[in-house]
Amino acid sequence: MAFFEQHIHDEPTNFLKKYIFSQDHKIIGKQFLWMGIFFLGVGGLMALMIRWTLAFPGQAFPVIGQFLFPDTAGVIPPDTYAMLFTMHGTIMIFYAITPILIGAFGNFLIPLMIGARDMAFPFMNMASFWISFVSGIVLLMGLFTPLGAAASGWTSYPTLSTLIGDPGQGQTLWTVAIFMLGVGSTLGSINYITTIITLRAPGMGYYDMPLSVWGLFMTAVLNVIFLPVLGAGCLLLLFDRLFGTTFFLAGAIATNGSGDPVLFQHVFWIFGHPEVYILILPAWGIVSDLLAFFARKPAFAAKTTALCMICITALSTLVYGHHMFTTQMSPLLTQTFMTLTMTISIPSAIFFTNWLGTIWKGSIRLDSPMLFALGVVFVFGLGGLTGLYLATVTTDIYLHDTYFVVGHFHYTMAASVLLGGFAAIYFWMPKMFGVKMNESLAKWHFWLSMIGLNGIFMGMMIVGYGGMHRRLYNPFVYDFMQNLIPMNLFITYSAFLMGAAQLIFVYNFIATLISGEKTGANPWNVGTLEWTIPSPAPHYNFKEIPIVRCGPHEFGNPNLPPGKDFQYQTEELVKV
Amino acid sequence: MKWIFYHLGFLFFTPLMAEEHVAKKSYTLWDAFHMPENIEENGHLIDWLFNYTTIMITLFFIFVVIGIVGFCYFYHHKRHPKALYTYGTKRSQIIFATVIGTAVFFIIDINIVRISNDDFTKVFLNWPDETKEEVIKVEVLAQQWSWNFRLAGKDGVFNTEDDVVSTNDLRLPIGKKVYFQVTSKDVIHSFWIPNARRKVDAIPGRITRMWMKFTKEGKWDIACAEMCGTHHYLMKASLTTYSNEDFKNWLTQAQNHSLAENDRGTQDIYWGWNWN
Repeated sequence: MAFFEQHIHDEPTNFLKKYIFSQDHKIIGKQFLWMGIFFLGVGGLMALMIRWTLAFPGQAFPVIGQFLFPDTAGVIPPDTYAMLFTMHGTIMIFYAITPILIGAFGNFLIPLMIGARDMAFPFMNMASFWISFVSGIVLLMGLFTPLGAAASGWTSYPTLSTLIGDPGQGQTLWTVAIFMLGVGSTLGSINYITTIITLRAPGMGYYDMPLSVWGLFMTAVLNVIFLPVLGAGCLLLLFDRLFGTTFFLAGAIATNGSGDPVLFQHVFWIFGHPEVYILILPAWGIVSDLLAFFARKPAFAAKTTALCMICITALSTLVYGHHMFTTQMSPLLTQTFMTLTMTISIPSAIFFTNWLGTIWKGSIRLDSPMLFALGVVFVFGLGGLTGLYLATVTTDIYLHDTYFVVGHFHYTMAASVLLGGFAAIYFWMPKMFGVKMNESLAKWHFWLSMIGLNGIFMGMMIVGYGGMHRRLYNPFVYDFMQNLIPMNLFITYSAFLMGAAQLIFVYNFIATLISGEKTGANPWNVGTLEWTIPSPAPHYNFKEIPIVRCGPHEFGNPNLPPGKDFQYQTEELVKV
Repeated sequence: MKWIFYHLGFLFFTPLMAEEHVAKKSYTLWDAFHMPENIEENGHLIDWLFNYTTIMITLFFIFVVIGIVGFCYFYHHKRHPKALYTYGTKRSQIIFATVIGTAVFFIIDINIVRISNDDFTKVFLNWPDETKEEVIKVEVLAQQWSWNFRLAGKDGVFNTEDDVVSTNDLRLPIGKKVYFQVTSKDVIHSFWIPNARRKVDAIPGRITRMWMKFTKEGKWDIACAEMCGTHHYLMKASLTTYSNEDFKNWLTQAQNHSLAENDRGTQDIYWGWNWN
């Protein structure tokens, strides 16, 4: 292990350098957090509009509908509906979840947890945020173009996303925005990987890193490998739109030479499937840590958990074809992808065993971060298991492009990642801002969110099983879906409950920032490195670079003196 | 102020009004859950595998939930103040985790893969053979936002002037194998018959295939399952399944009709292709 000298520069005094163009990983992390929470609000509002349309087709959206859609007296028109679900998906994946879990917590936690003073490349870190920020503005600009924002789904399959299907500038801006975001995230990920490899504190081997860092590490690896692939796809699509190339045009519309629209699906999903794991791996890492912290017990088989993360990272690159069963690939490919997809359940099952093993015979404290972490185990169980139907080619032929798929990937990507993000916010709030959130409001937030999101996503799986397909403005023009109207009403009510529950969080968050209860250096009695320094974390984190002497989850060692049930990573492991 | 009350009223009462509207026809709980009625000979294979998977994963998920809830109850710090100090690296613990991982793979996954693979290769990809039995061939052309269907006319050759061509209206017999070839004129669509459990994408520039054998007479929905633009939701066609005799009568009538009425001068009627 090489050790690099980490200089301490003076804290910038100029406001612009300190808070706007800061190169401090903690400030950049907070910037990503604000950006993520803002976009989470925008994307959530879009989700409510989508749900409203599906439950009450042809009725005006309440309160703000009159302002947003004056031409139709508040009713969401079909073309706007297509823009809403496109932007909802794009915003939630690339501009809400990615900034919160990877941007905010990746930046904030990695240096603190591995005992570094900052990231390896602070300037690149700043560039990563500002490129993402500008890309977010480019995406939103699409909403104000004459033909409106991108409207071909977050997958943007050509030929619908070429000029044939979507001649507006919104789709062009979407493509540019995603390309830029890819650049920003790649910069960030290179930074994470370098930091983790080179700047670990002396004494910290890879398996002494907290599992959160492991999750973020694997995410960064996947990001670096696959975001450039998406970038390439976006560029080709951009060429098709702007320069008249025909990479993705074929058949009667390809009057100027022929390409293949399915090519884009291959390019998109070879990125798109790892993307699922890019989003979920940080949440897995955080959950694995939190379960141990709040069960006051070492993480069960932590090394295996880390190895399973590596295993899933590798496997996730080999399974993307299950998104394309209905395009009628070669049967050999179909069978291969089906079997490979199923192998992912081995590391996943070991994950669940380790999570349950961690809380087995623990001394469990059900504080709000623990509740959210357990919530992740629950919803990811549902989301992961329902993936079996979709990996299986024959059931997928029925379920593909139905609401069953929507329910499934919302369980894995939205519900578990959202709950994981909230767990992280509640847990690291003291270290980020020096204050602790109100615990009873947090519990209300948890239980209402749990009821809401299970109502929504379970309901979606049920209507999908009933045959309701995706991206329909008004599903009830079909005879065979008439019986699904009550269930759609139920989903919409659940969505509004879920939305209301997030208001509790926003209130709690803001009230805590303004007048929260101040906390000490280590309110949760946890031994990882970030808790050895004062709260909030000072400029340049560690006055002296810590020396690591034991693992991250040292709880309940019987040799510890009475009254103490954990030890810091900087302390020698207590032995008899 | 008045404005706020107006909108609040809107927010609360619109859902109630909508519910009243729905309540006109009452649904049992089962109605709100079930799949569309199966009208295809092999649809039960998909239904069976769906149910099998459901049972398997429910069993596994029940274990997980029992674990979460049970451990949180019994090992709550009030009941269990001293946690067990273990890293989970004992031989017995490693064997336990490995057994669970492999058991899930071999008992649940491999079984599902095997069954699905058999269904897929032996049934769904077992294309009808014209030399052995009568096969009804249909060419499907998707476009924004309608379905065009083409049955060969009296000469049995596609893309000739006596073809039976229709838009959003497909009529087929029961008890005979129907062979679809699907393509698209503009963007990607997906040819889906929910009652027959299967769909296949309609992709510009290539032809995809699907075969079915209907078992029940009636009128059913055909839908586009892949997002294809603003009016994706209106891309709906109807499928009428006739008994053999009715189908023959209808086909003769339709063939005569198209011979008499097709405007042979326009290129528009020759969108079909040679069956391959």
